[in-house]
Amino acid sequence: MKGYLKYFSNKTAWYLLTLVVAVILNFLLPRLTPGNPVATIASKAVAGMTDANAIQKVYEDYTRMFGLDKSMPEQFLLYISNLFKGDLGVSFSYFPREVSDLIGSAIGWTVALQLPAILVGWFLGNLLGAVAAYIKGPVDKVVFPVFLFISNVPAFGMAIIILFVFGIYLKWFPSSGGYGFDLIPALNMKFILSVIRHYQMPFWSIVLTTIGGQAIGMRSMSIYELNADYVKYSRFLGIKDKVIVKYVFRNAMLPQITGLVLSLGTMVGGALVAEMIFSYPGLGTRILNAVTGQDFPVISGCTLIITVGVLLANLILEILYGLIDPRIKTAQQE
Amino acid sequence: MGKIMLEVNNLKTKYVTRFNESVYAVDNVSLRLEEGESMGIAGESGCGKSTLALSLMGYYFAPLHHIEGSIIVEGKDITKMTPDQVRKTVLGTEISYIPQAAMNALNPTQKIIRFIENVIHAHDPGMPKNRIYEMARDRFEVLNLPEEVLEKYPVELSGGMKQRTVIAISTILSPKVLIADEPSSALDVSSQKMVIKMMRELMKNGFIKSMIFITHELPLLYNVTDDIMVMYAGQIVEKGTAKEMVFDPLHPYSKGLMGSIIVPEAGTRDAKLTAIPGTPPNLKNPPAGCRFAQRCKYAHAACKVQSIEEVRLKDGRMYRCILDQNELKEGKK
Repeated sequence: MKGYLKYFSNKTAWYLLTLVVAVILNFLLPRLTPGNPVATIASKAVAGMTDANAIQKVYEDYTRMFGLDKSMPEQFLLYISNLFKGDLGVSFSYFPREVSDLIGSAIGWTVALQLPAILVGWFLGNLLGAVAAYIKGPVDKVVFPVFLFISNVPAFGMAIIILFVFGIYLKWFPSSGGYGFDLIPALNMKFILSVIRHYQMPFWSIVLTTIGGQAIGMRSMSIYELNADYVKYSRFLGIKDKVIVKYVFRNAMLPQITGLVLSLGTMVGGALVAEMIFSYPGLGTRILNAVTGQDFPVISGCTLIITVGVLLANLILEILYGLIDPRIKTAQQE
Repeated sequence: MGKIMLEVNNLKTKYVTRFNESVYAVDNVSLRLEEGESMGIAGESGCGKSTLALSLMGYYFAPLHHIEGSIIVEGKDITKMTPDQVRKTVLGTEISYIPQAAMNALNPTQKIIRFIENVIHAHDPGMPKNRIYEMARDRFEVLNLPEEVLEKYPVELSGGMKQRTVIAISTILSPKVLIADEPSSALDVSSQKMVIKMMRELMKNGFIKSMIFITHELPLLYNVTDDIMVMYAGQIVEKGTAKEMVFDPLHPYSKGLMGSIIVPEAGTRDAKLTAIPGTPPNLKNPPAGCRFAQRCKYAHAACKVQSIEEVRLKDGRMYRCILDQNELKEGKK
């Protein structure tokens, strides 16, 4: 137990260090890109103005407001002290909306789309892989390769095919948005139904591209475990196949859990492709807009969320692994 | 004469490859094991020793198939039973098995005691877990294994300890016949000794009634078993007492096998080691006559055509060769 605690305090220290470095990079990298965000924003404000002095004034106002007149180290210290207060700053392009407010309104959509899609895709993929390995036959010869093929269609291709077939040709589902454009978000039946209908295409486009990748991993792990020595030994001691299959799939699952937790960690980054093609609200679109508009605070805010998500997922994975796999736990205690 | 524990008559089994070819790995094997007896099976790699071990369990699954022959335990022919009957009433309780690779024989993510629970529940689903724990603890105590092992995962045990744990688990239901497939070949000499000691204790305490010990290490067999059978290309080529087989082998293959090792006895210091040239035949289409003929320095023309029958001598010794006993003995020099 002592070794275990030492291992994790060690790990946590490393993760904190990683976080610090990531925060610095999150701040620095967007600001090192060429171009001036004030120019883009101010040029809209000064449209039609002719007085050079007034235009100059507007520019200066914006620069001051965004804090861009200060030196880079000053900006950084300000950013850090605000971060400790839970303040991510104010968006440039959506001035004066707060970054936390922008992220908050998008992250719900992203999580609601990604979390079930990843879980369902992961579950179906593993199920398919396990069945293909254990029962073989038509599942292994037909269903499995079909999903493998589908998974190798690039995500944007898959989304476009689904959009075209089910949205435009069959007209089963609305082709864009998170809910009907004529509706105001509220907890009524009409709105919820509209959300569910808009949800289907982005959801399945993610699920379908996830299944095959998961299935191929699970299939080969299961085949490997099915031929393990302990399976033969257990059989010759009279243990029922039903019990042995449980050993096999539990052990085959272990590496698959890594994939699941890590994709849940990067999940908050948004499903950019699905969000763009189905014009679905979410963090992916937010990041894209922020990057094109050089909206530094929003970029830093989003990347911070992603950083924290990935690091947390890694830490949780380490702890979880120690609990579910005694081999890892032994290594952690050493 | 003790009670007969296991009787095998003309057992034939085969492997079916994925290209639907048959490999006849066990051909016409008969043996009889009495209470208190331990039998050794020797032979080089690929001669069918391990396949024989698996075939004797009476529990066949692909790619191994039973062709004919009977395996009689307690007066019942287990080859006539359904697989589920064999699983429930024979495996673990009547015939038990120690695998070749004990290192990986245990499920890595399961505590030893959970596995023992599964083994016992496979035969007696109603037994409460505390009873199983007591039973396992008592048995481990007798076999000088620490009780803590029960609450450990396989990865936390050393190689020798893992092997001894596997032996304890295999014999926890006190089987009549224990089939040990090279239980010590992956261990260093001191762990080997512990394993052998353990096997003797199992026998002494009556936890097993008889044993078949498979190995390629003949000196080991000489120290452990009463009788030795030598196997070649799926057939038993000779059977005799351990002493006869080591010091006075008849069959040319046995001679080659014994000549290729050193027995730690007086007078062997000057002996020269010899090797048997060539490799065993492919069992997809075994040769018509004697299977050893191609590598045998005494082979006649007839050896390669006519099928060779077993010759049984009065004292229970058996060999499979065209030559008679005296010719074979002379050939030795």
